[in-house]
Amino acid sequence: VNTEEQQLTEMLHRVTPEPPRRVTVEDIAYRLANQAGPGRQTHYRPPRSRRNREPRLRRPRWGWAAAPVLAAASVFVVAGASAGIAVLATSHHTPSPPSQGAQDTTSAPPVSSSPTGAPTGTAPVLPVGAVIPGGPWGARLIGHHSLLPGSLTGGDGSLYGFTGQDLVRIDPGSGAIVQSVPFSSPVTSPPVVLGSTVWVVSSYSDARAVLLGFDAQTLTQVRSVTVPAVGQLSTAAQGVLAAGPDGNLYVAAGDLVAVVNPANGLVVQRVQQPGGPVSSVAVAPVGGTIYVTAFNESSQTLQLMTYSLTEGGVETGSSTVRSGGGGNLVATSGGVWGTLGSGMSESVWFAPGGDLSSASPYVREVGGGGYLTLPTLANDALWIGGTRALTCANPATGSVLASAAIPADHGATQYFGSVVYADGNAYSYYSDNLSQTQGLAELTPPAACTR
Amino acid sequence: LVDTLTGVDRPAEPDGFRAFVEARSPALLRSGWLLTGDWAIAEDLVQTALAAAWPRWDSLRRQDAPEVYVRKIMINTYLRWRQRRWNGEIATGRLPEMAAYGDVFAQIDARQALLAALDRLPARQRAVVVLRYFADQTESQTAAAMGCSVGAVKSHAAKALARLRDVPGLAELMTGGVTS
Repeated sequence: VNTEEQQLTEMLHRVTPEPPRRVTVEDIAYRLANQAGPGRQTHYRPPRSRRNREPRLRRPRWGWAAAPVLAAASVFVVAGASAGIAVLATSHHTPSPPSQGAQDTTSAPPVSSSPTGAPTGTAPVLPVGAVIPGGPWGARLIGHHSLLPGSLTGGDGSLYGFTGQDLVRIDPGSGAIVQSVPFSSPVTSPPVVLGSTVWVVSSYSDARAVLLGFDAQTLTQVRSVTVPAVGQLSTAAQGVLAAGPDGNLYVAAGDLVAVVNPANGLVVQRVQQPGGPVSSVAVAPVGGTIYVTAFNESSQTLQLMTYSLTEGGVETGSSTVRSGGGGNLVATSGGVWGTLGSGMSESVWFAPGGDLSSASPYVREVGGGGYLTLPTLANDALWIGGTRALTCANPATGSVLASAAIPADHGATQYFGSVVYADGNAYSYYSDNLSQTQGLAELTPPAACTR
Repeated sequence: LVDTLTGVDRPAEPDGFRAFVEARSPALLRSGWLLTGDWAIAEDLVQTALAAAWPRWDSLRRQDAPEVYVRKIMINTYLRWRQRRWNGEIATGRLPEMAAYGDVFAQIDARQALLAALDRLPARQRAVVVLRYFADQTESQTAAAMGCSVGAVKSHAAKALARLRDVPGLAELMTGGVTS
């Protein structure tokens, strides 16, 4: 063994970490019981290995609508622990009254609503080009696409989204998918368009986040960046990748936010967040400030923190609310927006100046039907979709500029979400549980939204 | 034996098996992590090997070779899984940033750099590195575990060292002071 081999041996022993847990005899017994024959494994407790663990009842990565397995409980209260904000929200989707101009109810098949908004009848799939009956802001279906709710993103003259199996680029003019690349998102975090590159989180486990960069036109992979995490990655991650005005990527990586230069893949700054794994991150439009959330599963609280990058990552604010989940931060000139709860009952809030204690007037119940509803910033307005109303708001003050009701389709949930802009036009993801129509809708928002 | 909680029979636990698992599973898991770069898959690998050893345990103990057998199963399973391209890992174009050692992130960086370097090795070269230089197996033991000749082990080791020599930043890691 020469010096080089000795150094390698020493380094392997020094750097290789201790395992997070040990294998037990019970684990092996379970595996042997599995091998002995079907039907026996259910009697043994499952091993703790991820690959063989029984699936836990937890929120799917992209909201209940992406995998509607469970119906949620009936009512819960979101209370601001530190600030005293309290919002009563029901998880049942409350069907809105039939809208004017909706389909002729006498000719529709009889249906009834369910708590999840699942259809109990059928209706013809809406054809491409049709105006969506009763839809807000002249919504017109321009393409049939089954996207993951909350994944629609605009940038570089195109629209992007996840289908579950692919990352796709949609031509907003024709509404057609013009490029696609196999991709399965491991975490709730929509694509981020930075310059001529579309960035996605391709792996979010084992103490590292792997980002992939795709050419915005061809969807050819052009970059791959591995971001090491500190501590455990959040299991409640919602929006862990953001682009800053400085041209850098901001990645939630366990107990820190890593600032990554996309040109060379190097981490240029790290902001430590000692309060638990970061579940969401957003960057102020003028830079210099980041907002992060950390979800505490045991106490069921969501903590919002503000950090000043110009002061070396110093925490400048923190507030906490009781919630069963949330995140999906969007920073605007007046503060930060985010979500509480899950797709079964979701609210969007606005924290002026990053202070959740001031959020109570701005909490808006948006969810129902299991659809993940993310606030989006587009065309200098803040957009909030959902199953109840489509709203545009002043990003600086949070005041509502315009709002339109989303009608229930004969008691079944309709969803408009993720409003984005491309080439000066507004688009939204649309889903109708009754007719099983999913696709891209073109919108004509009122002038108040475009100011 | 009857499981007292479930009432379902399960294979009798051989003598000495529990002590072996408790004593050696950390080292086996660390080897598995070096092979796969993923704790969950490493755990799967170790469990697979131990499950294979369980029915033969008495015989292995008589031969005083339980760990050799378990490592052999681990390596063969790892190589078989790699052939199936089970992990779908995406090789990154560059090593993660190497932060100045001594800061709080240095351990994380070092682990990532090590895994990125090992990712560059073909499966058999990686297995030789883990067995020879981490598990401290002799060349003949490594050859036995991998089912190849001692000459092949030497060849794999030499090629692996040459590849690792070309990895930017690894020399610094090998002479650095970062601990896990």
